[in-house]
Amino acid sequence: MIDHLFRHQYGKMVSILTRIFGLQHLEMIEDAVQDTFIRAMMSWRKQIPDNPEAWLTQAAKNRILDLLRKLNADQKREFKIASGSSSLAINELFLEHEIGDSQLRMIFTACNPVLNPKDQIAFSLKTISGFSSQEIAASLLLKEETVKKRLIRARKAIQKANLSFEIPMGQELSRRLVRVLEVIYLIFNEGFHSNKKNILIREDLCGEALRLCKLVRQNPNTATPDAHALFALLCFHSARLKSKVNEHQEIISLRSQDRSKWYGPLIILGHSAMNQAVETEAFSVYHYEAAIASEHLKAKTYEDTNWDQILIWYEQLQKISPSLFTQLNIAAIHIQRGAFSQAEQYLMRLDPESLEQKAYLYFATYADLLKYQGDPEGALKQLEIAIDLCSNEVEKQYLLKKKNEIS
Amino acid sequence: MKDYMLIFLGADYSEMNLSPEQIQARMGKWFAWNTKMQEQGIVKDGHALHPEMRRVSGPGRTVTDQASAELKELVGGYYVVQAKDFDGAIEVAQDFPDYDLGGTVEIREIMVFDQA
Repeated sequence: MIDHLFRHQYGKMVSILTRIFGLQHLEMIEDAVQDTFIRAMMSWRKQIPDNPEAWLTQAAKNRILDLLRKLNADQKREFKIASGSSSLAINELFLEHEIGDSQLRMIFTACNPVLNPKDQIAFSLKTISGFSSQEIAASLLLKEETVKKRLIRARKAIQKANLSFEIPMGQELSRRLVRVLEVIYLIFNEGFHSNKKNILIREDLCGEALRLCKLVRQNPNTATPDAHALFALLCFHSARLKSKVNEHQEIISLRSQDRSKWYGPLIILGHSAMNQAVETEAFSVYHYEAAIASEHLKAKTYEDTNWDQILIWYEQLQKISPSLFTQLNIAAIHIQRGAFSQAEQYLMRLDPESLEQKAYLYFATYADLLKYQGDPEGALKQLEIAIDLCSNEVEKQYLLKKKNEIS
Repeated sequence: MKDYMLIFLGADYSEMNLSPEQIQARMGKWFAWNTKMQEQGIVKDGHALHPEMRRVSGPGRTVTDQASAELKELVGGYYVVQAKDFDGAIEVAQDFPDYDLGGTVEIREIMVFDQA
């Protein structure tokens, strides 16, 4: 059985059907696709067809004709699918590049500014990636009720604004693409950075982000250097995904990760995307983050890491998009370089409270600095504050381990 | 060996709002079960049934549609399998994938009449 076949087919089918019937029929479309899968399951109990994807495609086509008949009968109006005979037009919509095009339209719909930013991610995961509200809730660490509310609110916003199902053009395109890339990045981060239960779904989130980014890169109008850079970044991060936690779901620090487990093909894919990304001079946040990730991947051992180069990338990043976390990272890099006074200066300028729920990272970094400066007692004190503030269990365990190593 | 009919009741997938991934996982279990029975050479027949139903009853041959309250009693499909006795058939039914969704398997021996 093909992995995630249904999940990926779901997004394709919903997108194609939406292109035919319009966003106002989204709910009917989602039900229809769901129904197609249940039929497939029933009929495949005895034997899976030779080409499941073709089976599902055919079922979707039949379903479209059904729905056309039904809607035409109900509303006494003629739905038209482009020109020519409808079955011919339907076949054209199932061509590979047309499917990609439909899905891209869905991504732009999901990231439309009439939707609440929080609802955009839930809606994307539901409509493009076929996650159930329960799965979305588990992935985003929300209550299922919250997710359901967000999905309803997103649908209402789409109805109210009477959005058309299309990829924006001209200047509008570049403005809207920024948000599309952001949402893809956010989806990826949900998968990559938190380590609470349901590990499988979290890896799926990373996979979905990669798939969406790939779709963006496939269309000549959206294949911008930023999109390539984001793809490179996602590849580089994903290459390390499997070595980030051990079998007990404990975080393994970059220092102790088994570098032979890093996944080569993704690194190669990332590099080729990076080559495309640097064809123009204007670099985005994704460019620098990808450069940093790539620098880590280059080092054969932790000790080989080129901290000076990483520092340069971080400083560039801080220039184009100043952030407290980048500042904190710069401090951490200085510690690695043995430039303790510089690290201290950076930390002094930071107010840990402004890091909000990530404030524990500040104290953990401070502990690192004190440890390297030969002040284990001071380091312990800082670590204790960090442990106190940290709400993620997995990271808390990691900090406790660090504490035990000092004392 | 005797023939037993395994009748599947309840667990109407269309009512459960399963995600595509969950549907695929369920299907994988059904498929594994079927493969296992095929390998043992014990499955003779089986079909999934549409949930829509008409019931004809009484001297007046009254036709009724299925009411949603009866969904739990609805037969969703069946297999005919070979087993030594009831215990053997119960053993086969262990792999039915939908117990966790409230599904039930009813096992009935198929009656064989002597060819006089």
